[in-house]
Amino acid sequence: MSGTSIEARSSGSGVGSRLYSIIMRQKALVAIGIMMVVMAFSGTQFYTAYNLLDMLNSTSILLILSFGVTLTIIAGGCDLSIGGILVVSGILSIKLQAFMPMELAIALAILFGVLVGFVNGFLSVHQKTEPFIITLGMGLLLTGVAQQLTDAHPVPAKNPAFMMIGNGDFHGVPNLVIIMVVCFALAFWLMRYTQFGRNLYAIGGDYEVARYSGIPVVRTKWLAFVISGGGAALAGFLLSSKLNTGSSIYGDLTALVVNCGVVVGGTSFAGGIGGIPQSALGLLVFGMLDNVMNMLTIESYYQVLLKGVVIVAIIWLDCFAQKRKREFV
Amino acid sequence: MAEIALRMGKNPVARAAEVLFRDYLVLVMIAVLVAITAIVEPKFLTERNLTNIIRQFGPLMMVSLGMTFVILGNFIDLSVAGIMNLVAVVAISLIGPWGQVPALLMGLAIGAGCGALNAAAILTSGALTQAEALFLTFGMSTVFSAFALLYSGGVTQHFWETKASKAMFETIGSGTVVGPISASFVIFLVVLVILWVFQTKTTEGRAISLTGGNKTAARLSGIRIKRSIFVIYVVCGLMTALGAIILFSRTTTATPVLGAGFETNAILAVVVGGTTLRGGKGSVLRTVMGVLLLILMSNCLDLIGVSTYLQVVTKGAILILAIWLDNRKQV
Repeated sequence: MSGTSIEARSSGSGVGSRLYSIIMRQKALVAIGIMMVVMAFSGTQFYTAYNLLDMLNSTSILLILSFGVTLTIIAGGCDLSIGGILVVSGILSIKLQAFMPMELAIALAILFGVLVGFVNGFLSVHQKTEPFIITLGMGLLLTGVAQQLTDAHPVPAKNPAFMMIGNGDFHGVPNLVIIMVVCFALAFWLMRYTQFGRNLYAIGGDYEVARYSGIPVVRTKWLAFVISGGGAALAGFLLSSKLNTGSSIYGDLTALVVNCGVVVGGTSFAGGIGGIPQSALGLLVFGMLDNVMNMLTIESYYQVLLKGVVIVAIIWLDCFAQKRKREFV
Repeated sequence: MAEIALRMGKNPVARAAEVLFRDYLVLVMIAVLVAITAIVEPKFLTERNLTNIIRQFGPLMMVSLGMTFVILGNFIDLSVAGIMNLVAVVAISLIGPWGQVPALLMGLAIGAGCGALNAAAILTSGALTQAEALFLTFGMSTVFSAFALLYSGGVTQHFWETKASKAMFETIGSGTVVGPISASFVIFLVVLVILWVFQTKTTEGRAISLTGGNKTAARLSGIRIKRSIFVIYVVCGLMTALGAIILFSRTTTATPVLGAGFETNAILAVVVGGTTLRGGKGSVLRTVMGVLLLILMSNCLDLIGVSTYLQVVTKGAILILAIWLDNRKQV
């Protein structure tokens, strides 16, 4: 398991160091716990089924995005192009409906995401470029594509059936939450119980060792990028359906926030550590933070500040936890 | 095929051509771009357009020159957008109550301070990879932008709102020295010489390149890499502040979202110029070429009538292509 826990246990195993190692590993849970305690004394409507379900509903798009990204980060990469894929696939799923039935338009939008993921994988895995900068460039490119497609205006969807996918519910549970849970289960199964998932952990842990152990490293890591692209496209079409519009602005900071959220949960940039449940918790921190700040009616500029501070604090802790494992400093 | 034939020949001309194509592709691209645009659109070579280009490149050039040091040190800085926002709103608001020179100095100090904060976050957490620095500085950028929003209340500030003298900022923004040579161009030349000497002729500058090349090796050879990391972020913050000041002096307004997009453009300019993202190799002169290419390209595309959105697509494609080519060169 993680190196911090082993070290903490070997060095005295006092209550303090045990607590320290728990906080280091479960940063997201600690953050969620703090928020829940604060809200218990706030006297707001936080602990109502309606609010909690609403929070889950509004976070589910980010959660769906995060599952694919987790795969790439566990494999030792990262995917910053998801913001671009999100907006372009959302716009495509609406625009293509003018020419074809809704189902086909959605399928093509998701196929588009898969293709972008394929290109990302080719450049960063097959050609061995730095994934974060290549996917950053891809995100920039796709944002331009989205603006060109819509002339930077929101595109309304005209099909009521399309809107119902993102806004309907099944016996009170919103469709988005159901889709998110299905994606969660799929990704969890993939990472925990399939050879592909276990291989991704091995590749993230040590690329060369994995290669010499006979794992098809290039193909496996490439597939992680493809899945991430497909997941982002799925989230894009769901977002368009939920808002009933496609627009080029929604992707602006999404990519960085989602990647941060994954790391917040405990999936490390070092690769090979983490998992789907951790990512879900990490993104929930951001979802809950939004909800809590709105409940406490904090001014929007202070909300930006708080979010930034949370990002810095948690990434800082993540780097700090790995400091001792490194050869230097 | 022509490349291979050239390499076989090995006469001096062929070797020079090979070096030109491999190491100075950006110069070739600038020449081709200028030639094609001058033929397609005669307005390109008019004096008015050329002055326009010189005016345009000030802010991006300053930010990119600062970013060069960060990338040379094998790190990355996404916080330049946040720093620009903060510096612009604070500096412009201080012109009235403090006077223009203190306002300028305060702007620069804030830039350096923000850079020092970035360095502190990176050094204390022991972040060593670009990806970690990317997310840390992204978080810092959000914090700086939030402070800019809080300080200004989200309001756009204009030069004409203050009655105090702002002649210096007006000179920086739109003044000329000799003929078409603007004041911001002179500032650029001075800064470039200083940074070039710093990078190539001083111990500290050399230490940055060595740190970027291989941190462990640099540390073992007695280079204080923590100091180098601190220096690169402070230089980047300072140059970003200068870029922000030139930008709001030219537009005579400062909004708390003024710097949006500068971080990707600066990284793009540095990488296109030929400074490698792997750190250690590159120079401020290369960045000048990279910025020149970007500004010329957007000017050409504007003249030809390509939409701003497609220009974003082109930028993304060039970024991907530049990194890919750079990577193939290493293999």
